[in-house]
Amino acid sequence: MFEFLSEKLQVKPPKEEIDKIFEHLQTIYPAGEDPWGLSLKKARKNMEMIWPFYHNYFKVRVFGQENVGDEPYLVTSNHSGQIAIDGMLICIAFSLEVKPARILRPMVERFVTGLPFFGTWASEGGAVLGDRQNCINLLEAKQSVLVFPEGVRGVAKNTADFYKLQKFTRGFFRMALSTGTKILPIAVVGAEEFYPFVYHPRKIARFLGLPALPLTPLLVPLPSPVDIIIGKPYEAPPELTTESSDAEIDIHIKAIEAEVKRLTEEGLKNRRSFWANVKKEEKK
Amino acid sequence: MTLEMKDISSVLIIGIAGGLAKITAGLLSKKYPELSITGVDSRPVKLEIQTENIKTVQMKYTRGNFERIFREKKFDAVLHLGRMSHADANPMGNLEKRLDLNVMGTKRIMDLALRFGVKKSIIVSTYHVYGALSDNPVFIDEEAPLRASIKYPELRDVVEMDLFSTNWMWKNQTEIETVVLRPCSIIGPNIRNSMCLYLTSPYAPIGADFNPMFQFIHEYDMASVVIRSLEKVPTGIYNVAPSEVISIKEARKVIGQPSIPVPLLFLEQTVKLLNFPFWKFPRYLLDYIKFACIIDNKGIAPYLGEDFYRFTTKEALELLKLE
Repeated sequence: MFEFLSEKLQVKPPKEEIDKIFEHLQTIYPAGEDPWGLSLKKARKNMEMIWPFYHNYFKVRVFGQENVGDEPYLVTSNHSGQIAIDGMLICIAFSLEVKPARILRPMVERFVTGLPFFGTWASEGGAVLGDRQNCINLLEAKQSVLVFPEGVRGVAKNTADFYKLQKFTRGFFRMALSTGTKILPIAVVGAEEFYPFVYHPRKIARFLGLPALPLTPLLVPLPSPVDIIIGKPYEAPPELTTESSDAEIDIHIKAIEAEVKRLTEEGLKNRRSFWANVKKEEKK
Repeated sequence: MTLEMKDISSVLIIGIAGGLAKITAGLLSKKYPELSITGVDSRPVKLEIQTENIKTVQMKYTRGNFERIFREKKFDAVLHLGRMSHADANPMGNLEKRLDLNVMGTKRIMDLALRFGVKKSIIVSTYHVYGALSDNPVFIDEEAPLRASIKYPELRDVVEMDLFSTNWMWKNQTEIETVVLRPCSIIGPNIRNSMCLYLTSPYAPIGADFNPMFQFIHEYDMASVVIRSLEKVPTGIYNVAPSEVISIKEARKVIGQPSIPVPLLFLEQTVKLLNFPFWKFPRYLLDYIKFACIIDNKGIAPYLGEDFYRFTTKEALELLKLE
């Protein structure tokens, strides 16, 4: 019965495809584990668990796969959706829909690695501590890393600020410089509507020592269709070093920010209609 | 300019009753039969393999006759492998004794080494000095702050001994070559450190909610690193670990010991309960089986060369079964 239902509802992950991906990943991680806590077995289980949400619930589409080559990248995305579901979907996209398949390593807030169950679940799936040295070591080990240079300001936005890109911090660019890694700008469209009505009492969050405190009437995210748009890799000019001044690197950070903004706008034009975004368009 | 082995004819090994020291002495004696090796320990010493060029003495490092050995034997090198272990179920209980032996004892040994013209010293510390914290980066290099005693004061002697050794090393670097080694978990049938005890204890609790990565080095390989440090490695601090890593759950699976998965909330209470009278488990070790402390081995790698380690992590763990 379960088999029949899962086939009818198309919630069964594509076994053959996932087998092929993990055969390839096994060649990258022959021990099945890595120093950052990845476990291929658990990563596969995570992927199979998330796949029905990825495919059927959020109906993720990926554009621009042709821009991704067989090399490590510092993947730089806009951040949205109140909780880091966008990061999870990007990681699945980079394993399933990008060639060659890879385990994208999302950098997570420091407190996450100390959380029981969730911290280990995230690490075994590929997540890593958001620490500069950690990121440099990963890039040197030829791993692709996912960063959200907007930080918490990006993910925790009030409804009125949806799709307004927050200022990028500089750390990610210096990490790319120190390892000579190309930056891959991407945009996620549709994640803001997971929770369409949000209010952030910033003073209360600060008082409680929390990075953000999104208040929303919804418990579960809405099935807003998500598009991930991958831009062209951005290579820092060779004359820049990690010691370059803020003014020198700011030009490039602004260019990457502009590219993510452009990709977001492109995604917004082509996105599928969903009641939360349709309503917003009509209001405008 | 690094000292060469032809300049070394007499070696002192501190802590010769310990497993690592015995293996090191054995390997050193076999490789350099002309070398005169003296082993000292405050504990009774019994060497399984007796050789002509190894002499052992039981004495305290604070006694006058300890100084006499230095005067008479004219050591060229000192291998300090005599750090008192913090593997007790209640490491706070013997902290004073450990501080005295590990910090004051090390000072006395090193001062005597300097006074009597020792040319090279090797001090074996531990990776525990970095501390097991949730925000540890992977990999931790030798310049990272030593944070072990922030949460657990019972590890104070471990950190202080390391800090003392490294300060002493830089201060006296023109007169004596000193190598401070910070190895990952050393395992083997002759080693009785906290991690070996944990790995080989049946029904040990394991975090259901955490699964940190570990680096393990076999006792034979660690002894070989100590000898290589004497032969080739210049003054400095070096992390020692193979490139392989393994999660704690996988490690216990390889050994084949049954584990009891306990969530974090109950783990500390379980440890307190099991500490007495059934099972010995130091409190600080909880954090080491919760959070990873993966060290960077790039510093010493050029002196070891390719394929230096004889045992893979899996082999080293499997050999623990033979205990």
